[in-house]
Amino acid sequence: MSDTSVLDELPGELLMWVLIISELLVFGAGLVAFLSVRATDPDGFAQAQSALHRTGAGINTIILITSGFLAALAHQLRLAGSRGRARMALISAASLGVIFLWVKGLEYASKAAGGISWETHPFFTFYYLLTGFHAAHVVAGILLLLLVACYDAPRNIETGVAFWHMVDLVWLLLFPVIYLLQ
Amino acid sequence: MKDQQLHIAWGSLMALSLGSTLLSQPGIWALWPVAAGVGALVLAWLKARIVLSRYLGLAAAPSWQRGFEISLALFCLLLLGLYLLPHYPG
Repeated sequence: MSDTSVLDELPGELLMWVLIISELLVFGAGLVAFLSVRATDPDGFAQAQSALHRTGAGINTIILITSGFLAALAHQLRLAGSRGRARMALISAASLGVIFLWVKGLEYASKAAGGISWETHPFFTFYYLLTGFHAAHVVAGILLLLLVACYDAPRNIETGVAFWHMVDLVWLLLFPVIYLLQ
Repeated sequence: MKDQQLHIAWGSLMALSLGSTLLSQPGIWALWPVAAGVGALVLAWLKARIVLSRYLGLAAAPSWQRGFEISLALFCLLLLGLYLLPHYPG
């Protein structure tokens, strides 16, 4: 009889996976609620959505997947014993996270300048709630990447990087639903 | 080898994201809203699969990967159904 359970197959920390699944469920519920409310007012949602900057969101997608690549590379580099290069990759990944937030900030600022708030239309209530909650996770992820760049045991890096990939994964699902589906 | 897989994953994600960016052109949605919606969600599904298997390392845990992929596919189908609802109200 084997001593290993199916849980042992999961790469990295089990608790991080519990967090990842919890976060995916929360964001998933938010996206389902968004599309459910949209079904009651598709024209209003389409009109509100036209105020969004799709190109900026597309650029942010490229920024996040590249950041995720650097974070994953950092773990590989650390396992190979290249501590300095692993740290540089983690700091680069975190820097791309800061650029993501800067682009997001520009987007929010342009909405505010146009008089658009979370009360303007239910679309924007969901927009600010979902993208704002995601941005808060980006902030947490940046801090976590910098933390594991300092305390760079391979296990620490694997855990911090897994959180960052969750942030990446959530954005890949948020982007088409909020910005593209018309 | 793992580095090479990571580079391939990143390249695939970039290519799929380019596809999503092309889909962001408003003219496409005016002409083919249903096809564009299906395309946007399929691209998101493919990208999410790559992140799960290569970035998060589930390729090394096939049973978990299968579970996540089935859940992800069902979730994307739910999103697609909700998106299509106003297009086929009857």
